[in-house]
Amino acid sequence: MSELSLRQVSKSFGTLKVIKDVDLEIEQGAFTVFVGPSGCGKSTLLRMIAGLEDITSGDLEIGGARMNDTDPSKRGIAMVFQSYALYPHMSVRQNMGFALRFAGVPKAQIDRQVMDAARILELEPLLERKPGQLSGGQRQRVAIGRAIVRHPKVFLFDEPLSNLDAELRVHMRIEIAKLHKRLGATVIYVTHDQVEAMTLADKIVVLRAGRIEQTGTPLELYTDPDNQFVAGFIGSPKMNFLPARVAGGGDGQGGPAVTLEDFGVTVPVTGLKNLPAPGTRITVGIRPEKFNEQGDQGLSVAIEMVEHLGSETLVHGRGSGDLITVKYPGISAIDDGRLDARFNAGDLLYFTEGGERIR
Amino acid sequence: MDLYFQRLRGGLVYLFLITAAFLSIFPFLWMVLGATNTSADISRGKFGLGGALFDNIVSFLAFADVPLILWNSLKIALLTTLFTLAVASIAGYGFEIFRSRLRDRLYRVLLLTLMIPFAALMIPLFIMMGKLHLINTHWAVILPSIGSAFIIFYFRQSTKAFPLELRDAARVDGLKEWQIFLLIYVPVMRSTYAAAFVIVFMTAWNNYLWPLIVLQSNDTKTITLVVSSIASAYYPDYGAVMVSAILATLPTLIVFFLMQRQFVQGMLGSVK
Repeated sequence: MSELSLRQVSKSFGTLKVIKDVDLEIEQGAFTVFVGPSGCGKSTLLRMIAGLEDITSGDLEIGGARMNDTDPSKRGIAMVFQSYALYPHMSVRQNMGFALRFAGVPKAQIDRQVMDAARILELEPLLERKPGQLSGGQRQRVAIGRAIVRHPKVFLFDEPLSNLDAELRVHMRIEIAKLHKRLGATVIYVTHDQVEAMTLADKIVVLRAGRIEQTGTPLELYTDPDNQFVAGFIGSPKMNFLPARVAGGGDGQGGPAVTLEDFGVTVPVTGLKNLPAPGTRITVGIRPEKFNEQGDQGLSVAIEMVEHLGSETLVHGRGSGDLITVKYPGISAIDDGRLDARFNAGDLLYFTEGGERIR
Repeated sequence: MDLYFQRLRGGLVYLFLITAAFLSIFPFLWMVLGATNTSADISRGKFGLGGALFDNIVSFLAFADVPLILWNSLKIALLTTLFTLAVASIAGYGFEIFRSRLRDRLYRVLLLTLMIPFAALMIPLFIMMGKLHLINTHWAVILPSIGSAFIIFYFRQSTKAFPLELRDAARVDGLKEWQIFLLIYVPVMRSTYAAAFVIVFMTAWNNYLWPLIVLQSNDTKTITLVVSSIASAYYPDYGAVMVSAILATLPTLIVFFLMQRQFVQGMLGSVK
């Protein structure tokens, strides 16, 4: 069952349309991540769901009820903010119980709900402290606790980990994933960090310039992106894009092929129904981790830099054009000179010049 | 050589600071010592403790109904401060938080009013107060001070440091706008309020020209008017003048020292 629906939802600031006809269904209990570059509208969309921004047109439904004009506190949502937004003059206990106080919940029940949330998040020893006396991670847990006590239908997270250091971010990411599993709640989570999106999400919504580019599971987006933007955004290091031209094609000598112009290599193409006519310029994508020593094709790459990360080795180099990245697992002896970067032709993805996937 | 210049520079800095401190403290010292001396000793320029403090106090008490004038001053200063803080903080919050087409134009007009000297406003204000039948009442002193453009400006600038996510969180928690203001903004901005309190209280307490014009009967006068009238008597009793000056200065000093820490925080614009 759909917990939250967006139908043709748009948002304009004056004449500037920042969210453009968004259609989205979010299932009950799903962990949905909005991801995209800065300024793509993901936080604005989240704020529209929360009721902190007006919806210019379209419909928002939560739990089957239209919520466009409903007060934020009555939408059945709770929100965790990037800067935590804890009230600095209140103790942790007061912060967590504040919304319930305003909802007219009896004091005994507020205490019980606050204690339950504090137990889940191991906040009991901190209940009488003020936010200024807490570390970043503790504040984050209090912010989540403040959301939990309300028993919302939908949790909204607006880049909640971006103020934490790298180590704590990984720790809190795991905590949030565990919490979601434990509560079984519907979560919408905004981030620009695609690693966060890939590790947490049941479903990822990739946004660009106020529009949904693609929606799917993390692996669907990774393996089967709809366009060049999604292909480039999902995956780290990002996918290599090589300018190419359609070659051959039904000439009876090996079937369709593309020529990778930066390397002067022609690669056979299989399984594509809509390959454009020979001579058409296209873009070919290959993920850095798809290079392997047993590949049936090779690119001669002039090495410019090698990063030895222990668990993997990243080689940066180029043919005659843009820099490409090749990723090998483990420690590699590669240092400088030229690299015969081998790959399988079947691992290539093809995009039109406009960035649409050729299937 | 470098060490020599460093020491010389340090010495000059200290000399400057000592001179500046002395120039600042000297009037206070002169006032306190003067309060213990007779009028004749003060006129002769005696700079030392005398034995006439009690006589000077008696003389001052005989000149005016001191509890009443202190009460008048306190009442005016406190009411002015409370009303100004309420109006200016709401206005500053509104100017900063709410977007509208005319907001910045209106704000510029407000700032322009800072350039109008008070002397240019005295006569229209007096006519206005007369029409409202407020001449010779404390409201005539309080009302014109409340809409202070400078304090509104100060609150708006300070509100820039107020985290907007707190307002969003409060909206999600179910607070109305006035509840956000009272329950979140006011406590979070308390050091801004403290600094504004000190500034407005001092200004209101020391206000002289406008009260001189609108407060005409003795029972409505403030301490600054009384200090002035003692000093401008035909044979001024300088001992009593010094005692009255101490009494006029003391409350502002107490307010400042009580709120010094928060005043500094407020002036630095810190939101904790």
